[in-house]
Amino acid sequence: MSNQNQDAPGGKSSGWWALLRRPSVKYSALGLVAGGFIAGIVFWGGFNTGMEATNTLEFCTGCHEMRDTVFQEYQYTIHYTNRTGVRAICSDCHVPKDWTHKILRKIKASGEVWGKLTGSIDSKEKFEAKRLELATHEWERMKARDSIECRNCHSFDAMSASLQKKTPYEKHMAAKAEGKSCIDCHKGIAHKLPKGYKDPNVKEEEW
Amino acid sequence: MRTPIRLILPLILVGGGSSGSALAVDAEAAKALIQQNNCMQCHGVKQDKDGPSFAKSAEKFRAKPDGEEEIVKHLTSGREVKLADGSKENHKIVKTFPPNDMAQVKNLAAFILTIQH
Repeated sequence: MSNQNQDAPGGKSSGWWALLRRPSVKYSALGLVAGGFIAGIVFWGGFNTGMEATNTLEFCTGCHEMRDTVFQEYQYTIHYTNRTGVRAICSDCHVPKDWTHKILRKIKASGEVWGKLTGSIDSKEKFEAKRLELATHEWERMKARDSIECRNCHSFDAMSASLQKKTPYEKHMAAKAEGKSCIDCHKGIAHKLPKGYKDPNVKEEEW
Repeated sequence: MRTPIRLILPLILVGGGSSGSALAVDAEAAKALIQQNNCMQCHGVKQDKDGPSFAKSAEKFRAKPDGEEEIVKHLTSGREVKLADGSKENHKIVKTFPPNDMAQVKNLAAFILTIQH
């Protein structure tokens, strides 16, 4: 009796909270557990399906901000079309595969929604003006994750000394020994490098 | 008065030795294309790496009457080249956006010809 009186002023629970707390008089415990289990599957499946829908190439290029800029460049790269027909789409490189990092990335993407709403890159000129900043953020993210999105498909250990040209093979093995990751050397591999980007290994005065 | 001569000399050399497009060289666009293609992995500006320095290549091709065309061929044909250790390998073909934009490649070739030691 004391439990019933502690939740609401005046000693009585009321409204939705009371309804939720009241034991069922109609359904069995097994029925409620089974119903909750099925509802959980439906909710979880729906949530993940919705999240995966935001990982498709069609979704990513649904807005002109991406379709008219980076997507145009990407279509001419080896990650879009190649001899063997293996394609890496936007999310393969820009969205982590594991659930925890994927959901964190999706939460961060809310900033991109804000950018869309405020029109921060709604023209090619605005996009180009902001490209270095946006690319730098992405390079930093990739570096912090040890280029895991590249390494989902590419592995130093799977590189063949006989099939890869000698120079890149030696550079890859040296990079592995030095603890470098893909993004250290391969920036702008699927897009144009931003205007104003300077390779930190090249001194301007050398030219 | 030494500086103006030093600046003009390569332009005169390139202009006299090939198509004369050196006067219209867009250095920033050429450098961007170099970065985009990761050329600096194998070439230094003045330092030899696996491949010769740009300055050394410029010196070599400036001496040829069709130097600029030779460089363009070098960048677009994937021809076999000799590396610093004596081994041979096909040279990377320079990629442009839009693809196969010869104006960008010619600009790069003309820019390379201007590089001095």
